[in-house]
Amino acid sequence: MQSFQTSQTLYKTNKGWFSRFHIDGWLLAGILLLLSLSLAIVFSASGGDWQVAERHLVRITIALGLMLLFAQIPPNWIYIITPFLFAIALLMLIAVPIVGDVGKGAQRWLDLGPARFQPSELMKVVLPLMVAWIFAHSSYPPNWQRILAALVVIGLTAGLIVIQPDLGTSLLIAMSGLFIVFFAGLPWKLIFGALFAAAASIPIAWEFMHDYQRQRVLTFLDPESDPLGAGYHIIQSKIAIGSGGIEGKGFLGSTQAHLEFLPESTTDFIFSVLSEEFGLIGVIILLLMYLFVIGRGLYISAKAEDNFTRYVAASLIMTFFIYVFVNISMVSGLLPVVGLPLPLVSYGGSSLVTLMISFGILMSIHTHKKLLRQAKY
Amino acid sequence: MQENLHFDSSQAVHQKKRQFRLRLIIAFVFVCSLFLFLTGRMAYLQWINYDRYHSLAEGNRVSLEVIPPIRGKIYDRNHRLLADNQPVYSLQLIREDMDSIDEFEAEIQKILTDMPKERFEKFMERFRKGRRAIRYQLPHTLSEQQAAQFAVISHKFPGVTLSARLKRTYPYKAIGVHAIGYVGRINERELGRVNAKRYKGTQVIGKSGVERYYESTLQGYPGLQYIETNVRGSILRKLESEPAIPGQDLHMTIDIQLQEYAEKLLEGKRGSIVAIEPQSGEILAFVSVPTYDPNLFVDGIDSKTYKSLMDDKNRPFINRAINGQYPPGSTIKPFVALGAIERNIISPYKKIYDPGYFEYKGHRYRDWKRTGHGLVDMKAAVAQSCDTYFYELSLDMGVDTIHDSLAPFSLGKRTGIDLFGESKGILPSQAWKMATKGKPWYRGETIITSIGQGYNLTTPLQLATATAILANRGKQIIPHLVSHEQIEPFEQIQIQEIDNWEKVIDSMVEVMHGKRGTARRHGRNLPFKMAGKTGTAQVFSLNEGDYNADELDNRLHDHSLFLGFAPVEKPKIAVAVIAENSGSGSKTAAPVAVSLIERYLTPEKYSDPTNPLSKTQTQP
Repeated sequence: MQSFQTSQTLYKTNKGWFSRFHIDGWLLAGILLLLSLSLAIVFSASGGDWQVAERHLVRITIALGLMLLFAQIPPNWIYIITPFLFAIALLMLIAVPIVGDVGKGAQRWLDLGPARFQPSELMKVVLPLMVAWIFAHSSYPPNWQRILAALVVIGLTAGLIVIQPDLGTSLLIAMSGLFIVFFAGLPWKLIFGALFAAAASIPIAWEFMHDYQRQRVLTFLDPESDPLGAGYHIIQSKIAIGSGGIEGKGFLGSTQAHLEFLPESTTDFIFSVLSEEFGLIGVIILLLMYLFVIGRGLYISAKAEDNFTRYVAASLIMTFFIYVFVNISMVSGLLPVVGLPLPLVSYGGSSLVTLMISFGILMSIHTHKKLLRQAKY
Repeated sequence: MQENLHFDSSQAVHQKKRQFRLRLIIAFVFVCSLFLFLTGRMAYLQWINYDRYHSLAEGNRVSLEVIPPIRGKIYDRNHRLLADNQPVYSLQLIREDMDSIDEFEAEIQKILTDMPKERFEKFMERFRKGRRAIRYQLPHTLSEQQAAQFAVISHKFPGVTLSARLKRTYPYKAIGVHAIGYVGRINERELGRVNAKRYKGTQVIGKSGVERYYESTLQGYPGLQYIETNVRGSILRKLESEPAIPGQDLHMTIDIQLQEYAEKLLEGKRGSIVAIEPQSGEILAFVSVPTYDPNLFVDGIDSKTYKSLMDDKNRPFINRAINGQYPPGSTIKPFVALGAIERNIISPYKKIYDPGYFEYKGHRYRDWKRTGHGLVDMKAAVAQSCDTYFYELSLDMGVDTIHDSLAPFSLGKRTGIDLFGESKGILPSQAWKMATKGKPWYRGETIITSIGQGYNLTTPLQLATATAILANRGKQIIPHLVSHEQIEPFEQIQIQEIDNWEKVIDSMVEVMHGKRGTARRHGRNLPFKMAGKTGTAQVFSLNEGDYNADELDNRLHDHSLFLGFAPVEKPKIAVAVIAENSGSGSKTAAPVAVSLIERYLTPEKYSDPTNPLSKTQTQP
């Protein structure tokens, strides 16, 4: 009898097709808008290559399917399996330096028979889950044991990725964990203290950097010093962006990208193509699209009904924001070039999959609320 | 707020949720302000600095081009050009900028009559379907005449540019390829090994020989050129530039005419000759036959040719001079003899009776001469290559003494030549056998070691080096292919009795000029005094188990070896010759070596005005 009532309540609250498949209509709309834009720009950046556009469409479709799949998983399941997921991901990370494949001079890949797999990509989703798990039942503000546990987990993960070496990913993953520590109520005094300590530790970090990493920082500070190397990207990218003006050169009108001055125009530097073709107006529209998706994500976090989902949602969406911010800052010469795609817009497989899984989890958090409540009480 | 009732209505939870939402708001404000900041940055680039970037991008777009450095040339010791750079032309196509592809196709076919039609059509098909803005290169090099023909009509074809580059060429083709080496297209692995920045714009890298060993000398540093282009990407004018620094030229120690002569002497055979100037260690000729044409590799060799070379049973790619490991046979006898008289193990005058065999523990070790040499002293033993004398001597010496006598002559270790991948060879000793085979040494093995069989393996380069050191009366040298300003000070092999050098060398003179010397036929009538030693080695093929039944017979024949130097008093050239499966040393290797030495010491007898190679390539 009880179960019958439960399901009836479920039907009453979850009206309509979207709710039945645990889709958040607003979030989906924002994502689809960005992905459509992505298709157009990838097509243009590839010099009008239909094959590239086709491949991109196939990847988008697969990623959308994965998002829908993850939206079906109730958050309490995720909560239960989180520690196991984290353990597996951590083991994989440890395995990388031991048995990993060397790609582009860095060991980041695991060879799993037919597929090559990058454990740090998995960690982008799993680490926020783990840190949220730690704070799921904490007091407010959290006690120092939990903060310490969270910091150990974050430090360990980031440390394993930094030795691959992949400093960029390591910093971003660490940040996604630290967001949760922030949202879980870390006292302001500690936050400012940590920021101060971080600033003070820059000279120490410099000592531990690889030569090529230092070179990147130096090049960033003075791009003209290495016009053929890393500086070349920044110079060409700035020319592409700046020459777009307010209105842009129009769709398929990017001369910089088409004449191949711009490297990696379909991946890391796709924003430069967009700014060249659509100008300042296009950039503002893109930022508004992003703001809409981020806003919706934060709203989902605000409406979430327990600590775990609240923290997970907030962290995933803030990480998404950081990716957007770092990529745009990078191609416009505000931050050093670290090799990071523009979320939902760049051409490429594995990072899109990770992102869409995050959105699937966000949707699940938002649409499983009522079910959760029913299950608990 | 209603939802809270379902959870927990306590004040703490309520407070917690409010705190959390406050932080979410802070985060949202953070996001908005950073986005505003980005918008500001974009406005700065796209609005305020628009004119600057616009002119950079549109009006006069400045692009950077790499000027690849010119690779250093390689000369021989007489300044004859061995590796040159010659201009070749090719066409670059950008579809976006072309008016009519059909017209281009029709016109260009009239010029490129030598390009296979099929290949041309295949390229045009790919080009039509390909990306619009990409620069394609027609896979065919144009002759100077074709380039000129195109230049005349080039105004009709915007989007098609004629470009010239320098291509490595080897005017002597296959001659000396194992020493000079060749360049080929850079692959990923090589790019990882070198400084990639230095190779921007460069397509080739040294793959073997001196081209590879002296890569960092030959390769210069790229320059930069700022170019103004219009919207279509055509070059308007060249702005400031930073010139490339060309690579340094190399002067090899080989004499290409002597090299050619040496290769002719071994024509149709498998084998190797190394000739060294003893005083300096400079290599005069460095032969490994058969050879192959290095020009095939410069632009990438086609797979059919490559396969046929790879499948060639005679293995032209093997550098026999440094990688061919052969049992030295009797050629090591002078060195063994020197070790024995030096250590007072035997007097050079002591005579031993040779019945044609030596018996040890009931086993008979045969001499190559069935009837025996009769009574022989050291000099006669070397001159007639008496095996029995050395069998008996070896048991008195022991393998370790033999090893120690031969080691200073660079046998069984790398000579340090300026090439990569030199083989070590084997100079056996008790310790060596224990380390590699895990078994103790048997005295019976010492017997065959003394005549250069058994475990002994040497490279032709090692034999030539040993000969040169002997010719120097113990002055050790490092053989090299490229002359250096500074030569490392050489060490001297210290010996007890300085006369012993002459005693051993005398015995080798006897080989050439004595009544019963094994190479007396070839030493007759020479205008100079020469020392030599023949050798005949039982076969170890380079690749056992790869036999063809028809070939089997031939490949079981003995290797023919010879080493020698001349003139004896003041040696100018030391030579080692190995001819695979060519019978006894006196039959094949000795006449080759004698002829080469004669050619070197009396060049006037050989100057041949009809030989095109001896004239045309000479540089001022």
